[in-house]
Parts: sequence; structure tokens; C-alpha cells
Amino acid sequence: MNIINFVIDDKPISAPEGTNIFQAALDNNVYIPGLCYHPKLSQFGGCRLCFVEVTERKRTGHRFACAHPVSEGMIVKVNTPKVTRYRKSVMEYLLAHHELSCPTCDKSGECGLQNITYELNLAPGRFKTVRSHYPVIRDNPVLELNRNRCILCGRCVSTCKEIEGIGAIDFQNRGFKTVIGTAFDRPLECSFCGGCVSVCPTGAWQDRTLGFKGRPWEFNSTPTICPYCSVGCSIVINTKMDSVRRIVSNDRLGINEGNLCVKGRFGHEFIHSPERIKTPLIRKNGELCPASWNDAIDVVSKRFQQTISEHGGQFIGGIGSEKCTNEDNYLFQKFCRSVLGTNTIDNVSHIKSPYLNGLIYQSVVNGIVSTSLKEIEHANTLFFFGADITEAHPVIGSMARKAIRTNNANLIVANIRNVLFNSAAKNDIRLQYALGSQNVLINALIKVILDENLVDLKKAEISATNLHELRSSLDKFSVKDASQSTGIPEETIRSVSTLLTKPGNCCIVCGKDIEEYPLGEITIKALSNLCTLINAANHEKITASRISLLFSRSHNNSQGVNDMGVVPEFFPGYLDINNASNREKVEKLWGIKLSDNIFRQDAVNVIDLALNGKLKALYVMGENPIINYPVGKDIQAALKRVDFVVVQDAFLTETAQLADVVFPAATFAEKEGTFTNMGMTVQRLNKAIQPVGDAKPDWQIICELAKKMGHAYSYLSAKEILSEIGSITPIYSGINYDRLKRKEFHWVSSFYDKNKPTKYTFEIVQPKSLPMIKRKDFPFTLLTGASLNHQGTYSRHSKALTSIVPECFVEINKNDAQEMLVQNGDMVTVESMQNKIKLKAKVSGKTPAGTVFVSEDYEWIPINLLRDKAYTPVKIYKEAEQV
Amino acid sequence: MNTNKTVDLSKMEQVLEKYKNARGSLIPVLQIVQAEYGYLPEPVIGLISEKLHMSIHEIVGTATFYAQFHLKPRGEHIIKVCCGTACHVKGAKKVLEKISETLEVSTGMTTKDNAFTLDEVACLGACSLAPVMMVDEDIHGKLAPDTVGNVIKEIREAGVSR
Repeated sequence: MNIINFVIDDKPISAPEGTNIFQAALDNNVYIPGLCYHPKLSQFGGCRLCFVEVTERKRTGHRFACAHPVSEGMIVKVNTPKVTRYRKSVMEYLLAHHELSCPTCDKSGECGLQNITYELNLAPGRFKTVRSHYPVIRDNPVLELNRNRCILCGRCVSTCKEIEGIGAIDFQNRGFKTVIGTAFDRPLECSFCGGCVSVCPTGAWQDRTLGFKGRPWEFNSTPTICPYCSVGCSIVINTKMDSVRRIVSNDRLGINEGNLCVKGRFGHEFIHSPERIKTPLIRKNGELCPASWNDAIDVVSKRFQQTISEHGGQFIGGIGSEKCTNEDNYLFQKFCRSVLGTNTIDNVSHIKSPYLNGLIYQSVVNGIVSTSLKEIEHANTLFFFGADITEAHPVIGSMARKAIRTNNANLIVANIRNVLFNSAAKNDIRLQYALGSQNVLINALIKVILDENLVDLKKAEISATNLHELRSSLDKFSVKDASQSTGIPEETIRSVSTLLTKPGNCCIVCGKDIEEYPLGEITIKALSNLCTLINAANHEKITASRISLLFSRSHNNSQGVNDMGVVPEFFPGYLDINNASNREKVEKLWGIKLSDNIFRQDAVNVIDLALNGKLKALYVMGENPIINYPVGKDIQAALKRVDFVVVQDAFLTETAQLADVVFPAATFAEKEGTFTNMGMTVQRLNKAIQPVGDAKPDWQIICELAKKMGHAYSYLSAKEILSEIGSITPIYSGINYDRLKRKEFHWVSSFYDKNKPTKYTFEIVQPKSLPMIKRKDFPFTLLTGASLNHQGTYSRHSKALTSIVPECFVEINKNDAQEMLVQNGDMVTVESMQNKIKLKAKVSGKTPAGTVFVSEDYEWIPINLLRDKAYTPVKIYKEAEQV
Repeated sequence: MNTNKTVDLSKMEQVLEKYKNARGSLIPVLQIVQAEYGYLPEPVIGLISEKLHMSIHEIVGTATFYAQFHLKPRGEHIIKVCCGTACHVKGAKKVLEKISETLEVSTGMTTKDNAFTLDEVACLGACSLAPVMMVDEDIHGKLAPDTVGNVIKEIREAGVSR
């Protein structure tokens, strides 16, 4: 890339060739007024304010900075008298239409139009009577559009289309009548990401959750990390008088370039929800009654001690949290292992896919895991395999669209359902595979590569062992058979293999449909085979041009809870718990002798043990297993068999309601710590407000409990805990809490810096598909997945989110629905062998025939009650028929 | 050509299949649709959106930009009353008011019986005949509020189709 040197207002500036003057000025802290240009959007050139004087090739003229590329030796002047006169007259026109309702406008104080008016010291204009009087549009709970304040810069239109991929709004009409709006003035139908609010330079788009709760200059801004999905977007919490007033984004922070989804931007009302638990609760005569911290800690420590002395520590179980910080989870497992002396600890993500941690860590060792989510933006090919990006990780969608926009990336979306993903990719391949054939599809892709020599197999032979065995294991397997069992045409499979083997960066996002699929383990192994095969050409080094894997996780810290070793088989950092040297190291650091119970046993999880009566007490931190545990019937029965249950959470969840003692926990906004996202990036939280009521951060509660039980847990801050994590956990070594304030820590990158990838051995995997048994009495298969608008306890208590989507629904294929005479919006009963639930029907083309889809993220709908261990067969009927 | 009538989409399916995945084909598609139905019916816009993978808001945004596209059914006859400078001076506003009164329709709208659509235009280039209007392809000049009713009556009786 050529570097161009030029001058703006006597300041020498260098910028890459092709940059426009406006962007170059922005990058070098030179101010040029402008309202329509935005670095993350395509250039529009509509506001006419970035008018500058440009001298190039000995000619002086006037140009619009956002539309003119820089050239060698160019001289730019931003403030000549002529330029200022022009700019003032443009502003005069803009203000002639503008409502000028600054005193009552929420945007006042951070409004681009207001700022430029102020800078230019504009007097009232010559035109006073051309203001428009459009009604303000408030047709949804979170966004408000006041077109009288709009200057038609088009930023919202571009954001909606380019970043969110939706295009819910556009310019309507022409000339003076032009407005931003929807077709036929329909109510806004979009994902409510609020991108329009964040880019609007005036008060036209507003966040309704703010609505007169404070002026921008009154707010304290605290940058922190979003508590919902595992993308880990940076958000900024605006607070006033120790209460959260709104959440905004900052384009310069974190990994998300200021893009958020509806949950991240508008789902903050739970923090001050009246439903929050504000004091500890102790069960007395069957009722949970408020109590003091001292009493609650006392009761719990006594009961734990009693259980230990009567039965032994292994009779206490612990469930860690996918939502709490790394520090909380680290202390939780340390507490369980060192104070309680139990290794019966687990977390829900690990219970759902027990093999995943080992496979992910192995993939890191083999060098095929992406170093961060940012790799998506630089990809040339994107492959979403079993991942419903739009619903589960919306901001990854924005990153992918950036790759498509800037690198012309190819897109492959493979899913059981015909999931929605809007993109402008030229190569956009959609694979809708048959239920249970995930594994076959990956093996077919490998088969094509081997058969057609799409990669240098000689190099593959050197870079990994077992290639011969891999080839012979697929001998009897043909692409034709694969096409038959997956339902995907042969030529499509071939073209996907060709795309994946093209040189360039390729990112595969491995989704929930694979991780929680009964054959998930072998499918992920096959996926690793595929990656290694394609990476064969550049083995032994991790280059930019390669294929890499990202493993989808559901919650903000699902990765972190596993990294922190809240699982029975690993100490923090995936250190084998049975390994003597690891035990020694941990014993030395913790200053204790690990009990003999701290040993990995066979594959039984904490709930199975409870179910078999082998658990007397259970300690649950920040988790609602009654709803989140995959098999509802088991968890219900298990909790009944446990004598003493302690739950610490911010809300009285279904699990907390069954507890004997409930500790009120602080939410993400009220504490410090770190989260690890699905790209293995560790990011730091900052405390925005004091804990609500008597709530405390989870790690403090654990410390108090440990102290009461006679252990010296003298941590004063999350920082101290993190430095202990850094010393005990090889993958987190070198992490520094203070440095995290400026820069996130990528543990996979740091791992790659320290270790050379080990030689890969191809896993021999049977290219089989999961046999699906068709039952006449339960003809449908229940699929579950993520939801854009909801995720667990937090969204449930956020008014904005519950008013956008108040009800959970069951998605039924349109042909099936027609056959059953079910229409959109009908109430239907979904019944499995285990239980039944009444839900509203949503007829769609997304779900394939023979399946129904229900999101598991609506916490108030216990969908796990229906579920069985594998794909659950269900039947569906309208209520009337049953009578 | 009545909004109440259900729109027959089958005709368009084939046409749209041809333009599927072809970039930059929105305007030709809208022209074909309008030639077929006389306007752009809402259900057809929905179908275009599905086939061309464009949001309907973008399609309507484009359609409302161009004067050639209409989102509402058009009448049998299109009346374009000139309100350019010369006609304005010669009392075009009064002529327009009279027509609007006679047809019981406001500017830009279509009569209930779908016979006439009344439009206001800037200049028809026939200033010597001001005030002037154009009905379909014919120019009617030197109008006056009290005679314009007769012109409309004649057209209605003749029943000439466009």
C-alpha cells in the first residue's frame, strides 16, 4: 500500500493511498466539520459541510473532503473565508428545516448539528417558515423517530443496511418531501439494534429507554463489557446519581466498532428492576425471609461444615456461572476444592457438551483456533456451521458483513434450519442439511478435497500423521451418498470444498447445532481434520492466510467459566486434575493439601450425583439450572433430593426459589472483573454503580464464606484474584489487570507466541449420520436455539426487551402447519413424552418439515421440561382438539 | 384495477424468476410490474423483495423517488393540469379547483370509479394556450373554470381508452 504525504492546515499528514481527506484528517486529529460521513459506513456525500479548499497539481479548487481521495503534495485548507461562508450557508439551509427543540431534546449536548451551529456562531437564518411538522413516530418500545429534526444525512439508512443487513428504513419520496421512513409507513420491523440512534448526528433517532432521564453532560460514563452473549461487545454505561440511565456504544472501544444488538443496547433495565434481591434470604418455616449477611453466612458455613463432617466434602456439589466473571468463577472452584474439599463442580455449558473443553484446547494446541473474533473481519471466506449468527451472536453478523463489504468475502451458511442471515456476498452458499447429518457433511467436504486433490496432499502428509488412515477410512464413503443423506446437491458440496481451499483467510464458526448435537464430538474432530488438511500448505507456523475455527458459546463468560476450571476434570487453564505435577503446583500456590476427593471420576455430572442421592448440599452461583439444565425432569428431581441448597444470584430465579439460603449478588454493572469471550479474548469490566441494596460481588461472598469456615481468603479486589489466576493458569500467564484497561488480552495469541503448534494426528471418524427414529405418536423433532431478544434472567427483567418480544413461540414449518390447520398466532400445545407446554405458533419457512423450533432463551418458558437427552420427539396440536 | 381486488401474483413469478439474483435490476422489474398492473401493488412489491433479496423499504424508497412509478391504481384517464408560471398567471389554480370539485378528487388521487387521476404538473410547454391541461395524450387549452366541466363530461361520454 502506498503512503501519501500531504498537508492539512500546515500540518503534514501521511495516509494510505485511497483514503479520503475526511478520514485522513480524522485519523490525525484534524477537525473538519461534517455530519454525514462515518468511518464505518460507505461514503454518502450528502450534508455538504466538509467543503474544503484543495490545492493539488498547482490548481486550487474546492472539494468535499469525504469524497476526495488524498494525493501526494496536496494542500488542504479547512477554514478559509470562502469555505466558512459556504459552510455557514449550508447550515442555514439545514437549520431552516430543523425543529430547533434543543431545550427538550435528549440529544442536546452531544448533537453534531448543535455543535456545528455553535462553532460557526450562527445567527438566526433568513428562512423561518419552512419547518416540517411530521408526527413523531413511536411505534415500538425502544426507538423514536422525529423527522422534523432529520437532516437526511443517510447514516441510519446505511447502518441499517450495511451493518445490520436489514434495510428497515430508507429515503422515501423526493425533493422537499424526502423523509426517512418505512414502506407504506408501516411500523418499524427490525432487529432494534439501535445502530440508527448511535450514528444519528441530530436528535431525529432517540433511545426511548432514556426518555428524559438525564442530559448527556450529567452522565458519568463507564466503559464495560456487555453481559449477554459470548461476543463480548464493549459498551458504555451512562449513570446519574448512582443509577444506570442508558447504554451507549463507543466506536473506538473493544472489538465491536460501536455495533451492538438489541440486548446490549436496550436490555439494561434489569439492573434497577424492583425484582432484584436486595438482602440475603433464609428459609424459615418454608418461606424465604430477609436476613442479615452475618446470619446467612453463618447458616451456610455451619451447614457446609456439618455436611463435611457427617458425609465428607464430596457430598457437596457446586455449579459455577456462565455469567459471572473469571474472578468469581476462579474463587468458586478454589473454594469448592480447597475449603469444601469437593470436586463435584460443574457449569451448564460443560454439562451440555462435556467433550468441548478438551477439543477446544486440543485445537488451540494444534494451532487451528482463531486468535480473536476480529479474524472474522479479515476473512476472505466465512463458514457458519450450525450457528444461527443473527439470533445468537448478532454482532458477529456485523463483523461478517464488514468482511463481505471490504474483502468481498465468500459466505457459507450451513444449518438444519433455513436461518436468516442477510448479506450482500457475491458468493453466498446456503446449505440446509438434514437433521442429524452434520457429521456426514463435514466428512463429505474432506472426501472432496482428498479425491480432487484440492490441497497439496504431500504437504499434508508431512504436516500431520495418519493421512493414509484418514483416506482409507473414507474409502467406502462417497459424496453421492453424502448428498443423499444430507439432502445437499453434490455440486454444492464440491463448490463448498473448493471455496474453503482457496488461498486466503477463512473463519469457521462452529455453532450450537454442532456442539450440542449427539454426534458433536466426532463432528468437531472431523472439522479439525478438515482445517488441518486445508492448512497443510503452511504447517508449523500460524500465518494470516489460513483456515481457523471459532467455537460458539452461549453466554458472556461461558468460555471463562471453563477456562477457570469450574469443571470436574481440569484445574484452571485445562490442567489435568489427575496429573501429579499439576496437583503439586496447585497445592503449592493455594498453600493447602488437596483432598483425595479432588480427582476426576467417570463421566457423571453433579446433577446425576444428586439424582442418585450422592449429594447432600449444593452451592449454585449465578446460574438457574432449573431452566438451563438440558433435561428439566432430572434437575427438578435432583434438587428435591438435595437437603441444603445455596443460591447466589441477582434475582429470585426458579432455582433460587427452591433454595434454603439465597445470597444477593451484584450484576456486571456493579462489579469489577474480567470476562472471556468466545474468541478467547479476556476483557475487563468496570464498576459503574454501587451494588444495589445489600448485594455483593460474587467473589466477595465466597471470600466471606471461606473466612467464616476458617480459611484465609484475604482478597481485596478483582485485580488480586486475576494476578493469582495469571500465576496458576498457563494460558492466562502474562495477564495484567491494569493493562486490560487499555488493551484486551487474547489468550490464544499469547499461547501461539509461546508454543509452536504440535503435529496433528488425523482423527479417524466414522462418516455416519445420527439415526433418527420416527415415531408415529410424536411425529416432530424439537429443535432449540438462541433468541435475539432474550437471554436468561437479565432480559426477562428488562422492560424494553419484554415489550419488544413479550412471548415465546414455537416455529412450525408452513407445510406442516397447513396440514394441521395451524395458523400464525394460534395457541398450540407442544407435547413430548416428558411434558407439555402451550405456546403461540409462528408459521415459517425457516424450520424444515418434521421439526419444530422453540428458543431456550425465554427463561419463563421451561423448555427443558420437554427435552430428553438427545433430539426430543414431540407432537403438536391445537388446544380445541384435545377437548 | 381496484385495490380491493386480490392481485394475481402468478404472472409475475415467472418474470421475477428471470431477474432473480441479478444485481441492479430493480428499475426494469418495477417497469415491467407497472406495465402489467398499471401501478405497483403492495403484494407484488413483497414478491419482488423476496426474489431480489431487497428490503421492501428500499424498493418503495426507489419507487417513490421516480415520478414514473405509482403505488396506487391509476385512473382510466390521466389529467395533468399545468400550474407553470404562465398558466398560474392565467388562473390555473381556479381551473384545478373546479376539476377537483367536479370529479370529487384531490390532486394526485384517483376518482372512485377509477375513470380519472388528477395530477398537477409544472409546465407542459404550451404556454400560448394557458391555462392548459393534458388529458392522456391530448392538450386542452384556454380553459376557464366554467368550461372545464364540459371538457371532462365529453371525455367521460366518449369513453376513449388510453
